[in-house]
Amino acid sequence: MTNTLKIDALVVGGGIAGMQASLDLADQGYQVALVEKNPSVGGMMAGLSKVFPTLDCCSCITTPKMSAVAHHANISLMTYSEVQSVMGNEGDYQVRVMKKPRYVIEDECSGCRSCEMVCPLDLPDYDNEYGRGAHRVIYVPFSTAVPQKALIDIDNCIYCGKCLKACTTNAIDFAQQPEYVNIETTSIVLATGYKTTPYDAKKEYGGGRLRNVVHGMMVERLLAPTGAYGRQLRPSDGRQPDNIAYVQCAGSRDLTLGVDYCSRVCCMYAIKQAMLLAGALPMADITIYYMDIRAFGKGYEQFYENAKAMGIQFVKGKVARITEDENQNPILRVELIDQNSRVVERKHDLAVLSVGMLPGFDPNSMYGVPVDKDGFIKAPNPNISPTLTMREGIFATGTATGPMDIVDSIITAGAVAAEAAAYIQSHNGHRQLVAEQTERSVTHA
Amino acid sequence: MPEKDESQAKPREEPRIGVYVCNCGGNIGNVVACDNVARVLGKLPNVVTSHSHMFMCSDPGQNLIIDDIKEKGVNRVVIGACSLFLHEQTFRSAVERAGLNPYLYYHVGLREQVSWVHHDNPKEATDKATRMMMGGIAKARYMRPLEPVRLDAGKHALVIGGGVAGLRSALDIARRGLQVTLIEKSHYLGGHMAQWERVFPTHQKARVLLKELIERVLAEPNITIHTGAQVVRTQGYVGNFQIKIRQEPRGVHGAFPNEQEAVAVCPIKQRREFDYGLSTRKAIYRAYNGCVPESLVIDWENCTKCGECVKVAPEGMINLNEEAREFDLKVGAVVLATGFKPYEPLYGEMGWKEFPEVITLAQLHRLLDDEGPSDGKFYWNGHPVRDVAIIHCVGSRQIEGVHRPQPDGNVNNYCSRVCCTASMSMAALIRQKAPDAKVYDIYEDIRTYGRGHEDYYRNAGKEQVTFLRYFAEEIPEVMRADESADRPLLVKVKDHLTWGETIELPVDLVVLATGMMPNPVDDLIGMFKVSPGNDRFLLEVHPKLRPVETAVNGIVLAGTAQGPMNIQESCAAAGAAASKVAALLIQGEVELEPFVAVVDPERCNGSGKCIEHCPQEEALTLETFTENGRTFQRAVVTPANCNGCGVCAGVCPNRAIDVAGWRLDEFEAMVEAITDEIPAMEGAI
Amino acid sequence: MTITDKEAAQKRTAMLADLRKERREKVEHAQSLLKGQQAVRKTLSRVMQGEPRSIPEIAAATNLPPHEVLWHITAMKKYGEVVEDGMDEDFAFYLYRLAKEPIHE
Repeated sequence: MTNTLKIDALVVGGGIAGMQASLDLADQGYQVALVEKNPSVGGMMAGLSKVFPTLDCCSCITTPKMSAVAHHANISLMTYSEVQSVMGNEGDYQVRVMKKPRYVIEDECSGCRSCEMVCPLDLPDYDNEYGRGAHRVIYVPFSTAVPQKALIDIDNCIYCGKCLKACTTNAIDFAQQPEYVNIETTSIVLATGYKTTPYDAKKEYGGGRLRNVVHGMMVERLLAPTGAYGRQLRPSDGRQPDNIAYVQCAGSRDLTLGVDYCSRVCCMYAIKQAMLLAGALPMADITIYYMDIRAFGKGYEQFYENAKAMGIQFVKGKVARITEDENQNPILRVELIDQNSRVVERKHDLAVLSVGMLPGFDPNSMYGVPVDKDGFIKAPNPNISPTLTMREGIFATGTATGPMDIVDSIITAGAVAAEAAAYIQSHNGHRQLVAEQTERSVTHA
Repeated sequence: MPEKDESQAKPREEPRIGVYVCNCGGNIGNVVACDNVARVLGKLPNVVTSHSHMFMCSDPGQNLIIDDIKEKGVNRVVIGACSLFLHEQTFRSAVERAGLNPYLYYHVGLREQVSWVHHDNPKEATDKATRMMMGGIAKARYMRPLEPVRLDAGKHALVIGGGVAGLRSALDIARRGLQVTLIEKSHYLGGHMAQWERVFPTHQKARVLLKELIERVLAEPNITIHTGAQVVRTQGYVGNFQIKIRQEPRGVHGAFPNEQEAVAVCPIKQRREFDYGLSTRKAIYRAYNGCVPESLVIDWENCTKCGECVKVAPEGMINLNEEAREFDLKVGAVVLATGFKPYEPLYGEMGWKEFPEVITLAQLHRLLDDEGPSDGKFYWNGHPVRDVAIIHCVGSRQIEGVHRPQPDGNVNNYCSRVCCTASMSMAALIRQKAPDAKVYDIYEDIRTYGRGHEDYYRNAGKEQVTFLRYFAEEIPEVMRADESADRPLLVKVKDHLTWGETIELPVDLVVLATGMMPNPVDDLIGMFKVSPGNDRFLLEVHPKLRPVETAVNGIVLAGTAQGPMNIQESCAAAGAAASKVAALLIQGEVELEPFVAVVDPERCNGSGKCIEHCPQEEALTLETFTENGRTFQRAVVTPANCNGCGVCAGVCPNRAIDVAGWRLDEFEAMVEAITDEIPAMEGAI
Repeated sequence: MTITDKEAAQKRTAMLADLRKERREKVEHAQSLLKGQQAVRKTLSRVMQGEPRSIPEIAAATNLPPHEVLWHITAMKKYGEVVEDGMDEDFAFYLYRLAKEPIHE
């Protein structure tokens, strides 16, 4: 089955940047299609707990935007969908999108989760809980997912038929095939986001084998009210940690991993998590081992000062190695730069690697949009036009253009909307507006 | 008997109230027993359904409301959640999607007003939350459907500030097809960017990059630019701002061949602002070569009107008696792109002004500029600079009690974001220009966070820049060296990279990496009623939900008026501001809240009391009507000018005027309900 | 059950059997996962009959590694089979017990 959609802008990626860009274009009256590869929009942000520097609950920022993109009259939302091919020229792109089979008919499913309740097999939830939690073979991705529709992990299904019986709307369709949508669009906005630097890459830090060495995103799930544990527990045995270490620049500013840049967010999220952990576990000691604390955004320095005042320990030092003792407590070997560069070994009961950002996707082969040496999308004029790519009519926003935090992602999403809108406007021959006054003038009395 | 008005014309439907208590992901739920509150409220009359939910603002939460409206016939919605500033729009649109008038929803703030302020007393907090919700439910019984006030909006925006952010946002708004007027206080465009030697991370010449942008702006037919212009008065509201602009005369009209001569004959010598005082200029001058507009300008403050320049210039070129002019603009939205000023150190702060060999990072940019006061040679006082110390965080990351406050008593406790990378880039440039120079970089944390910025840091290391780290509490000292020393200054630093030793560095020049301060815009803050934050930069509504909007509808922020940003970030913010302006004005119509005064025509006897006390201009008028041969006077509301303050309702002797959405009967019901008994709960957990 | 319902049910059963045949390899793998999981859950349910217990206690009683126990308890908690019930004396571990009757979240 194939449908054709004629639109002004195709936004690829339904994380915060893609959602905001879609909303900002749609609010200007443009027709937008938003394509997201996962079964729900929301991106990485949907998994976070609270956000710096306001400590707003993250869901209170993301979920309304998730809802808004689903209900906006000018936005066609396509989740669990991937761009297959991009043809055509500047200003006139033909894009083929595949809607992957959920094995659940989206229009029929009410999201009641009756199917999920009767499904017999639990699987580790890697997508949302980094393997710590579970979902069934048929499941709604998470409690605030948009759309609230079930899908089936077909490779793990035993076809017992319990879900079929439980479903009151006959929404389950094991024979579902991929659907294709042809999109004709004037412009494309790449909001393909980031992935975290692999926390198991560094063998000095245990190479992912040490159970109580986790990464920042996992801690977000420990702190989120919707997290798998709903508590702050360490993964080896479920103990509440009381001596937590943060290892900064774990995977950023690290030439051995080929990541020579700063990931911009890790200092702040570590400080934020430390504050939240200190709130949840008042008896816990928390130490942040850092190279430079980069609290550069609006209100961030104050946030850092607050953390210090709360008793979070900040220690300038590079963690050289992490091992563990017989109780799986991480032992950190650290050079304490501010203390005569002494090298010490310190025992903690949970170590958090503040992992950084890698590009989520290389758009070159699909979109003809080259990336820079850091792997993020190359900007021909990064200062004045930060959202342009090397290809006309294709724009980029958010962490697809380099590491950045949520505030900056949202700002660049607004910027990409302006850039794309201007492009659409010039391409559509000013069809929406005729300038009332075209006389140009620079007056200086 | 309740008052009579048009909404009473048909019998009021029986209120069927849906009640929703949001956990706010624990923000509320960890303090207020939301389940219990919902259960208690479910017992109140007219409440047909009552729920608590982890996130009411999420799609599942919104769907709960929609389903109740559609399936349970709910016709009034009361939500207890975060601040209505955050999600009133979210819930209104959900209610509207379900087919209900969006003003039949009432929002109770259970986070800011309850859980955050009473986190130490969950029991009382739960009690308060219940009472506040009871008040909301009481109001809901009286709520009437309302329609927003719709008004034509000018498809025209005013951008205040001609720096890079203002230029970029003007361009983006104009390219979208809207008219833009750009005003700039100084007599040339480009702001501080024109003063930078070059920009990171591309290492391009700043003025080359700026010139390209200015040319694009000039080529845009929808943009009108006024330099030397400022706002003097504002009036109106989103969609319809009336703004009076005052434009200072330039005094010089266009270029002429013997400009140099006209400048040479001027007897007045002034500090050249463009070079931060590193050079001088005359009272007839050009900010810099290649600036736009290019013609010379008169410095009225210092010009003595001696007329020497007039004598040399072709006739009519220079007019020393030119007057300022004022003109009015009608615009739908305003972009505040008023920029920053570099932090000016206090006298003696690390040797500032005390020793002439202490300069700021901004001055260093001028010094290293090929077109700068020393033609780009790294010279100071006529001698090549050999050794230089750059000290970071001067005027940034200040700590109360440690740093001397500014004259107004403030300290800048924020990071200025750009100085680290700028310093790294300048350090490398120094090494290029003076390969034998020793460069000491004295820092707290190196914050080369942006894309490509870390390369500058690494490169500085490769260029043998020596790094020393100080703690904020141990500010480096700059002092005069002994007469016999061959370097004029000595910098004393307690360096935490070398075992906390105190190190003395003999140097020729000290560069203070000064941060950013907001430009003083108290006049605009007053006129537009926008707010500065604690850091005195202009404040956005919410850094993530509405990051470029101010609390005043139609006034948006772009660039460093909002906080320290580099050029890239300023341009991105300018684009975001342009998007908001376009979304607001592109329909040619804006919607205002319907919470305005309404007159009950049957009760109004034209006493005129309301008009007497109304603080808004032209919100209320007394008009004469003739009906059935009878002539009488009655108050008439102009909704666009009414701000819904309710003063009129208080003074009317006949209770003939009230505020829609906030009528006296609603208030009375709320007060009664809040002080009422909380229903007992059986089987409480 | 009406006749048509019965027919539909038969049809469904046949379809599922076909699918199982068609995708045998993957189904067999999933079935082995399920078998393993059911065995573990049975053991867990047995040792959790009495007083609430901590993860290490359950691990010791079942001879399963604590991190695996934690995963299973997390999953069972999500689907309402297990509930959290207090903490141990040192306030280091939460205690868990079987839900009296499975409740859905």
